[in-house]
Amino acid sequence: MDNATNKAKPFEFMQCISIIKSTAKRAADLHELRDLIATVSEESIFHHTCQYFLKGRIREYTNDFAHWVGESLEESALAEQLSSIDPYEFKSISELRSALLTVIDNYLESFPEPREALAGEEFYFNETITIVFPARIRAKNLAEFLIAIRYIDAASIYYHFHEARTRLGSGTDDFSKWFDEVLGEQELARRLWAIDPFMHSIEGIREHIVEIVDEKVKRDMEITGVEE
Amino acid sequence: MIAKYTGIAPKGDLILLQRLGEIFRDKSFLHVNSTRAGGGVAEILQRMIPILRDLGIDARWEVIEGDERFFDITKKIHNALQGNHETITEEMWRHHYEVNRRNAEKLDLEADAVLIHDPQPAPLIEFKPEGGESDRVPWLWRCHIDVSNPLQEVCDYLRRYCEKYDAAVFSVSKFARAMSIDEFIIPPSIDPLSEKNRDLTEEEIRQTLERYDIPADRSIILQVSRFDRFKDPIGVIKAYRMVKKYNDCILILAGSPASDDPEGEIVLNEVREYASNDPDVHILLLPPFSDRDINALQRSATVVLQKSIKEGFGLTVSEAMWKGKPVIGGATGGIPLQIVHGFTGFLVHTPEGAAFRIRQFLNNPHMVEKMGQRSKEYIRTNFLITRQIRDYLSVWYAIKNNGKSVYEL
Repeated sequence: MDNATNKAKPFEFMQCISIIKSTAKRAADLHELRDLIATVSEESIFHHTCQYFLKGRIREYTNDFAHWVGESLEESALAEQLSSIDPYEFKSISELRSALLTVIDNYLESFPEPREALAGEEFYFNETITIVFPARIRAKNLAEFLIAIRYIDAASIYYHFHEARTRLGSGTDDFSKWFDEVLGEQELARRLWAIDPFMHSIEGIREHIVEIVDEKVKRDMEITGVEE
Repeated sequence: MIAKYTGIAPKGDLILLQRLGEIFRDKSFLHVNSTRAGGGVAEILQRMIPILRDLGIDARWEVIEGDERFFDITKKIHNALQGNHETITEEMWRHHYEVNRRNAEKLDLEADAVLIHDPQPAPLIEFKPEGGESDRVPWLWRCHIDVSNPLQEVCDYLRRYCEKYDAAVFSVSKFARAMSIDEFIIPPSIDPLSEKNRDLTEEEIRQTLERYDIPADRSIILQVSRFDRFKDPIGVIKAYRMVKKYNDCILILAGSPASDDPEGEIVLNEVREYASNDPDVHILLLPPFSDRDINALQRSATVVLQKSIKEGFGLTVSEAMWKGKPVIGGATGGIPLQIVHGFTGFLVHTPEGAAFRIRQFLNNPHMVEKMGQRSKEYIRTNFLITRQIRDYLSVWYAIKNNGKSVYEL
């Protein structure tokens, strides 16, 4: 990309909302969960794994399957294993689906008769319809970006930081990509990419981005080499 | 009007609402339910219609009329959908249909999108205008009831109407039934600017307490709800009595009658009898539109309960949380969506559980404050009316442009 064009290209903040659509499919135990994970739509797998963070709740696990297995079935070991599956590591939902099934199948081999969830505590498979729209905020440089990131809606951070990992599919997110390709700030891009998406709520991610960018903006503003 | 939500509702919701308002400018959006006053549905519609109009959408709200027998039948249908054993005879279903047929003759059902609320007017789908553009008008059935464990034959009978709609909308995932149409999950919401939820002055709060003879210097346990067995008012009194052994407090049970709920008076009498003239139990039968008083009571409460056994959604939970109160709620219906156990309040299953959590709150004001702050923010981002209107319009948009899972606006 031409450097002069790149420098002129501001960061356009987008955001998204999800409307939940029920599949009316429910699992009451691990066998049913396994069979439904094997057959539900890719949108449903995506919703229960990649979109987990959009819910904004403070939870112990990193996807809906792990959460249900841990909380409603009280199968903590399996919940830990499901929780360690990184959905962004896979090139396709079908690979992610296989990884989920492998973990559950291995567990079922050792514990073939898992307990059943209480009535009303079943796992409900959903899908989503996502609507993406401009957040009407544009940052032309790092300083403007720093102001924007402080008050932008959490759904915008989700879209650029989490959802972008699936959308771009190239080991990057929208923020890191802009830092790298437009601002030429490779180190900043590397540091932002290094924020672990699984260890923080969206507000936690926001705090980390602010911290990293704030440090960089302050450093850039400092006048060095002043003679006494 | 939408501008008044700036700085209150999440900014993204307002931006999307404006965009959807542009898309649906001058299109008509008809809502039909069975009561203008009392209960959460009427309350949401009262606030939603003016906002939709302000967005440039020609929103209308029609109410079906029925005789006493009709509402007796629909109350039974309602109870059966919530799991109670009720017998709905073929003749009763016929009356249900007939009343809807008579309403359809009177109502203007022409619109660009139609949302029918709950089972009472569900048969109106049989009278959907036909031909030309009318065939492309999406008709949605909105179910506000907890149908997670319904009486099957009643559910099956109603399904013959529901499946003729283009889509159904439920409040909670677990309410969705296996049907041949699309089913969306849209939780209801509260309006932060309504008389029931707006900020009040100290003077306004004091006036309400004086009017109902409530002492301002004692801890108040409050439940606001219709007098309905599913709201477990007796269980609330039991919990209060357990607490009373350890902590001084008063109990307020406050509710308004709803014109489509003939059982209300019977339950109210049961509750009065059970309270047996305890001077610290205040049973308030508030007239319809007592919104400011409810607001004042919620703001005065030390602990707010919604100890329902069955619940459509339980919006009183969101109302109290919006006022910075952590709520103790029954783990049923939509209540667990609002109360994140241990974070924004507590979920309970028994009067004993409720009593224990009440005592925890009465003895830990710091916990009350912290959970209350989280509660308010949780409601702001998830349960304000702007989010619900955004969702309805998004569903309308998705149905009109069907087939995709991602849309860019």
